[in-house]
Amino acid sequence: MPQVVKYKAKSIIYFEGDSSDKIYILQSGKVSLISIDIENGQEIREMVKTGEFFGVKSSLGRYPREETADVLTDSVVMVFTVPEFENLIYTNPRINMQMLKVFSNQLRRLHKKVRSLMSIDEQTDAETGLFNIGEYYYKNQKYKPALYAFRRYLTYYPAGSYQGQATEYLIKIEKYPQGGAPASSAQKPQPVKKPAAPAEESRDSKLYYDGLSFFSQEKYEDAINNFRQYISNNPDGEFMVRAVNEIGKSLFILKKYDDCIKHFTGMIQKFPKHPDLPEFLLYLGLSCNAKNDKQKAAGFYKKVITMCEDGSEIKRKAKNALKALGGN
Amino acid sequence: MNIDLSKFDRFKVAFQKGDQIFCEYEPGDSFYLIQSGRVQIVKIMGDIEKIVDILHPGEIFGEMAILEEAPRSASAIAIDHVEVLEFNKKNFEILLRGNPQIAMKLLQTFIKRIYDQKRRFMILTLPDPQAKVADVFLMLSETQSAESKSMNEIVLNTNVDDLAHWCGLSTSECKQVINHFVTQRKIEIQNDKLVIKNINDFQRFVNSRRKK
Repeated sequence: MPQVVKYKAKSIIYFEGDSSDKIYILQSGKVSLISIDIENGQEIREMVKTGEFFGVKSSLGRYPREETADVLTDSVVMVFTVPEFENLIYTNPRINMQMLKVFSNQLRRLHKKVRSLMSIDEQTDAETGLFNIGEYYYKNQKYKPALYAFRRYLTYYPAGSYQGQATEYLIKIEKYPQGGAPASSAQKPQPVKKPAAPAEESRDSKLYYDGLSFFSQEKYEDAINNFRQYISNNPDGEFMVRAVNEIGKSLFILKKYDDCIKHFTGMIQKFPKHPDLPEFLLYLGLSCNAKNDKQKAAGFYKKVITMCEDGSEIKRKAKNALKALGGN
Repeated sequence: MNIDLSKFDRFKVAFQKGDQIFCEYEPGDSFYLIQSGRVQIVKIMGDIEKIVDILHPGEIFGEMAILEEAPRSASAIAIDHVEVLEFNKKNFEILLRGNPQIAMKLLQTFIKRIYDQKRRFMILTLPDPQAKVADVFLMLSETQSAESKSMNEIVLNTNVDDLAHWCGLSTSECKQVINHFVTQRKIEIQNDKLVIKNINDFQRFVNSRRKK
């Protein structure tokens, strides 16, 4: 079981360089992470948001802490061991998704920094790059990868600036009877997934995915439109459940609390055994709270708490929300 | 990996030995989990084709494509007959929900790559070639077992090409530095191995260079 631990103001949860397998979530209070910028050696201070994890990378990656966790005001954190954290993620894939987003972003930025230090020409665009790869392999008489690169080039850039040269190379390679890999037996390029003219079903999944992407761009109105269209085209579709949920969330973020309540109430009536029921109820509670109907809100939160397993994100949120109401 | 992957059979893709799985600079929208066979990750740097990594069953590659579509930063080539599971943005959520263990593995892959890149960045920001090469020694020694860490002398399985690649130097520049260290009797070259006489010496050297 994850433990709830209280820290006094001006204490330290961990120091840079410490080895530990603990992962934390800030429940209340103020914690700041102090690290050294690898670029200029200056101190960086980052505030941990309530509900945010910290200490994840060093614990999972088994390397020393890269930052010091400094407690600014009396704070409450929940402490997970690595196995407990893994359990949490297994039951809440969404947490993992969010973390992957954060980490992939960090990695992308690091890649960029490293490349700029290695004075690799950042100017090379993907089109030129792909053509150059083909040319490199061609000149080194590695015809199989050359063939692959030129074919890919022509698939992606049929009217590209190297189209003529790439075609010439291709013709040359295909003439070599024993050129590493004769054209006939060479690997056929996989079909390029094009958004144009997709099958009925995948066009609808595209609706859903575009909806998600609108959501992440904070274009909630557009997101709602997409999800609604998806649901009306696929009442039994693969993403129906998710779409329902996303619409409700978007309405909540847009502060359309009445619409949000109407949406989720309707859904609960329609799908009383929906797997995301606790989350629906949580949003009902949050919406009621936003409308100042605290009693109703508390009712919803309590229901969520009784429905969820310990350690689930939804339960935690409901508990926190209930606590914020001053109830228990 | 003792994870039940049978329900992911529909994502299975096979490649013949020598097949290109994807090519550097190609737009990427999927990532792969190796089920059998080995995959070579190569990158063309200047005039050389550089093997960046060799991956084994259970390992993940192409992971940068999961959340953002961007050109591939390296090529992936099948060394053996290779079977992979191919995932993209579309079925990624199915994967996350259906197989949290893989999702966890993915998270760990990212964490490892972030650490490696940071370490690399630290090497590249050192002011001179000698300090850079020395820091690569330190990095390589960090991945060795704790047992050998306690000793001054350590043996690294590496060569000049690899070292040059890590510190962003040309092979000839790197060779110069290595020769310099050899004449100072700080290191010895044995075939594919490099014997570091006193790794703590190099640690102090790098530390002194890092502080401005």
